Amino acid sequence: MTIQEAAAALRARKVSSVELTSEALDRTARLDQKLKAFITVMDESARSRAQRADAELSRGIDRGPLHGIPVAVKDVFSTKGVRTTCGSKLFANHVPDHNAAVVERLESAGAVLIGKTNMHELAYGITSTNPHFGAVRNPWDLDRIPGGSSGGSGAAVAADLVFMAMGSDTGGSIRIPASFCGTVGLKPTFGRVSRFGVLPLDFSLDHMGPLTHTVRDAAVTLNALAGFDPRDETCSRQAVEDYLPAKTISIRDVRIGLPENFYFDQADPAVTQAVRRMGETAQSLGARLLLVRVPDIAALNTVGRVILLCEASALMERYLAQRDNFGADVLALLDQGRLLPATDYVNAQRLRRVMKQEFQDLWKQVDCLFVPTTPTSAPRIGQATLKFGDKEEDARLASTRLVRGINVLGLPALSMPCGWDDLGLPLGLQIIGSPFQEALILRVGAALEDATDFGQRLPTGIA
Amino acid sequence: MAKNWKTIAVGLNLDIPESDLEKAQTSLDSLDKAFQPLVRILPHDTEPAVMFQCQPEENQ
Repeated sequence: MTIQEAAAALRARKVSSVELTSEALDRTARLDQKLKAFITVMDESARSRAQRADAELSRGIDRGPLHGIPVAVKDVFSTKGVRTTCGSKLFANHVPDHNAAVVERLESAGAVLIGKTNMHELAYGITSTNPHFGAVRNPWDLDRIPGGSSGGSGAAVAADLVFMAMGSDTGGSIRIPASFCGTVGLKPTFGRVSRFGVLPLDFSLDHMGPLTHTVRDAAVTLNALAGFDPRDETCSRQAVEDYLPAKTISIRDVRIGLPENFYFDQADPAVTQAVRRMGETAQSLGARLLLVRVPDIAALNTVGRVILLCEASALMERYLAQRDNFGADVLALLDQGRLLPATDYVNAQRLRRVMKQEFQDLWKQVDCLFVPTTPTSAPRIGQATLKFGDKEEDARLASTRLVRGINVLGLPALSMPCGWDDLGLPLGLQIIGSPFQEALILRVGAALEDATDFGQRLPTGIA
Repeated sequence: MAKNWKTIAVGLNLDIPESDLEKAQTSLDSLDKAFQPLVRILPHDTEPAVMFQCQPEENQ
């Protein structure tokens, strides 16, 4: 069931929020021993909130489509009175005295928060094999990673534990789990959703967004989250739109760019075929498919890595004497960041400006880009490298290769299911738009979702 | 010329064990090799994308 279907059922009194929430909590209790998708389940407060949601609806108080809907948030979002660990031993007992802006907005919209999802330690990695809270498993194959760092959110949505789970994305951390878990994941434009109350990994690359079953559910969630917040200095005053695509959508004459360089150079053939097929589907719906050359994405990724290494290490410096409190992979990245000179950081930020300009020229030619989210389906837990023909590539670098650079530019990007590989594992299409064009990429995504059935298959890895 | 990361660690008095420095070296070498050529072609007057903004109320 989608958020929109549940919202309709709630208003038709076919189901109550208490029933939806009980089902979510029961299913979580049953399956999360295997999945490890949650760090904290908020059983009592969720049930009480669901009762309140039902009572409000019966009194005619309707907070919108998220009213009474069970959701989860990644454990980077501060929750007042509920521990917020960031997947780290350092914050294992951290109990905030305030809610993150995202949590405030979800609560105002009437959503029922059932828990905090597991993640890669400190949101600094893509496996979600967390050394402190357990390795999150992919519902499609429990021996595989769900992606990360918002792996618990991806697994929780894919396993149908919740209708929506919030993630954060610094170098692909919403889109990678969406791709590996066969869900939708939306990374809005930098500044569209407030970062207030989120334990940061990187000041200038962190983005907040939802993972959902459908594109329209992502749009419904963005409607609740988007908007200016003076507590986040990077939050934009750009006017908020209604992001929900209409029931009948036209994408006629939308200019879709299919890159002829970089994005398809090293990818599993199944991924390449699936993404190109989505391009053809869009074309059959009236969109214009254009072959384009994109700016140097490898360079953009390099710049992104320098910025992330420096900013993350600067943030975590005060804790780095406690080396035993970090997992080995995260500690290695934090060490690297301490060694880079300040001149590299400043020059990376200068290069960022140049690359932003290069992309502005691209948006004169196309309205959005169709590219793969990840070059493969989900790797196995512990798999260190991925193979492309006779080339081997570090699994972390390969999995972030097609997503990381977009964070440097702050562009909105949507990942949605676009097919399966030979192993029956989901593959992801990434639709990238120009700044603040969330409505456009959601409209294109919804049109493709209406024309295909890739989002409808359920994971086979769990009961 | 490749940077000597071990010397940098010693110079900054960072408490990174030798074995961990070995691990960092390979990754940083390849990153630096990709990054420095980009810096060399940066126009001289390009300012960083991160900017400090002085707000009017700070003067009051």
